[in-house]
Amino acid sequence: MFQRKKFSVILVVMVLIGSTLLAACSSDKKGEPSASVSSPSNSATPGESASPSPSADKPKEKVTLDFWAHWGSTTRRPIIEKIVSDFNASQDRIFVKYSFQPFGEGWTKELAAIAAGNPPDVIIQDIFTVGQRAEKKQAVNLSEFLSKDPSVKDRFFEQLWDTVLYNNEPYALPFNTDTRFLYYNKKAFAEVGLDPNSPPTTWAELETFAKKLDKKNGKRYDRIGYHANNAGGWDLWVQNSDGKLLIDREGPHYNSDAKVEALKWVKGWDDRLGKKEMDAFKATFGSKQNDPFVIGKLAMTVQTGTFFAQIKDFMNPDDIGFAPVPEMKPGSGNWTFGGGFTLEIPYGAKHPEESWEFMKYMTDIAAQKYWGQYLFDNIANKEAANDPDLSANPVYKFATENMKWTLISPVPNNAPDYKNIANPFIEKALLGQEDPKSALDKAQAGVENLMKTTK
Amino acid sequence: MNSALDWKTGSYYQNRRLQQRIKKAVLFIVLSAVGLTFVIPFWWMISTSLKSMDEIMQYPPSFLPGHWRFHNYVETWTSIDFTRFTLNTLMVACISVTAHVISNSFVAYGFAKIRFPGRNILFSIVLSTMIIPGFVTLIPQYIMFAKIHWVGTYLPLTVPGFFGNAFQIFLLRQFYLGIPNELIEAAKIDGANHFYIWRKIMIPLSLPAIIMVAISTFTASWNDFVGPVIYLTNESHYTLQIALQSFKVSSGLNQWHYLMAGSVIALTPIVVMFFLFQKYFIQGMNISAGTKG
Repeated sequence: MFQRKKFSVILVVMVLIGSTLLAACSSDKKGEPSASVSSPSNSATPGESASPSPSADKPKEKVTLDFWAHWGSTTRRPIIEKIVSDFNASQDRIFVKYSFQPFGEGWTKELAAIAAGNPPDVIIQDIFTVGQRAEKKQAVNLSEFLSKDPSVKDRFFEQLWDTVLYNNEPYALPFNTDTRFLYYNKKAFAEVGLDPNSPPTTWAELETFAKKLDKKNGKRYDRIGYHANNAGGWDLWVQNSDGKLLIDREGPHYNSDAKVEALKWVKGWDDRLGKKEMDAFKATFGSKQNDPFVIGKLAMTVQTGTFFAQIKDFMNPDDIGFAPVPEMKPGSGNWTFGGGFTLEIPYGAKHPEESWEFMKYMTDIAAQKYWGQYLFDNIANKEAANDPDLSANPVYKFATENMKWTLISPVPNNAPDYKNIANPFIEKALLGQEDPKSALDKAQAGVENLMKTTK
Repeated sequence: MNSALDWKTGSYYQNRRLQQRIKKAVLFIVLSAVGLTFVIPFWWMISTSLKSMDEIMQYPPSFLPGHWRFHNYVETWTSIDFTRFTLNTLMVACISVTAHVISNSFVAYGFAKIRFPGRNILFSIVLSTMIIPGFVTLIPQYIMFAKIHWVGTYLPLTVPGFFGNAFQIFLLRQFYLGIPNELIEAAKIDGANHFYIWRKIMIPLSLPAIIMVAISTFTASWNDFVGPVIYLTNESHYTLQIALQSFKVSSGLNQWHYLMAGSVIALTPIVVMFFLFQKYFIQGMNISAGTKG
């Protein structure tokens, strides 16, 4: 009896060890297509209609590229898999294997992989920090490839192309971007006697409209017309004021007169509506499980184009209007800012030429159009963004047009942590513990000092 | 009236019983309130997992799902290869448990019951590894595993377990110190070697501590995110914790219903295990609490 028990234990241990070894042997050197993902219905986004065709079989002589990105949801994954699948079908020498990596952690993993000399072939990376990776030799210089295909750079919006340059040489290709603009609730406008087809165009109008749209029940707000910091962010408005980013290649631009005025104006919203009430309002929606604009608690908001996916699913899109971010004063400009992702070849990748081919495909019209069509994401390719099929959607068309007001710039390599230096001063100003001018002067000096000391 | 009379004329014992009842009632209320605060987030997770996205977006949020969508679980299970990811996680966790239990109890036995020169210094060195944060060793360890071609396999997640864990060695050593040396000496007189003593005497006597080690290893391995993210490259090798991330999006709205359904599924084995081994778990906590002084 005892012997049988002993034998069973040994058997279990052997099986476990055996399965580890088997798993070890089945490491991903074969380059098989990744685990298949079906697309269950998801009311949150429009991607459900996309059904990827089965990936093409991989003949042995093909070069396999390992492509990492953070798109794993049931809405985005089918789209990226379809694009990859189409590329594979068009190829007789390259096979791309898509691997989902959790957002953010995938980039840590890439760093470790570069250090160990076994990085992926292509990766989706943050658009703001291309220069930092170029300087640290974490991304491959694409000049050599671009010299063979010089027209590739003309595909992109100018400000996006600028983000991928380090010492005037490209280290990535822009893939997608975003732009922020004003969404407003037409029904709420009509309810308080505002013209639903005349959104606010200046800060003064925004404030006047917001006051009319506020709905208070005793001490609590049933609806807030607008709140500058909670529904856009102080950074949006200070950058909107003078059309200059807080930081760009030239350095920090924190303390212009317009930015000081802007920060005072942002703080003014708390002063009027009550800091305590606004903090409580923010805390209610802090989990991001639901959005105050979508549930009718906020009449105007500033969001990216992809926000329209939520509107489409949870609201009547006809009730919603959109407009450029109001300008500080007539003629100052409807400035806004954007972000996005790029395609890069990590340093030490084994097949840069094939990777370049794939990157060209990913940024070409067909792939870009497909991505934009289903996800309402602003795409980097100008021609694809202006495609008549995409422009048929008024929000998409508007978001593309809004790119002319969209500021994007890489963060200087010697100020990667500029926010940690500057933001505490701004927070103090917003809490009323510091004068806005003094806070912005300190932020400017702090970031300048950071750049000097990190040089 | 009668009860009022009882109050005045009641015996010492009756008053004492009443006092005890009040104490118990207060304790019960306090404990229930504390228990409820722990249960509410868990209920919120289950409730969200059974709602549609429309209902999740509603304000004020509903405590109970208006329409119970059990189908969310089916969709979560089929939208990603959940069966495979669960089996992968289970395999890594089981191997880790086996590795940790064998290696740590073996090393702890050596530190507790075998006298050899430099034993205390060696034990201090083992303990000192506890102060090195895991993230500091992450990149060097990754490079080492990459050089021996282990990246992309389960080996970096399982093999280090066979080389001991400082805290668990410490925990088991403290437990072993409480076992009388006479038992070992008697076994030695009967001709038993150290391996035999460890296997036949120490392990059966230290079962609560061993189960504590097994449970904590299983939980840590089951919930591990960074290790699998860094070392696994093929998606078919991924564990549950990575798979759950696929329901989160970098911009826009998370797929909360799937994310919560997936989290409930991932949490279930841990909860079941807790109820099955509750007795040992509490005993183990007493051991670890006792070792702190």
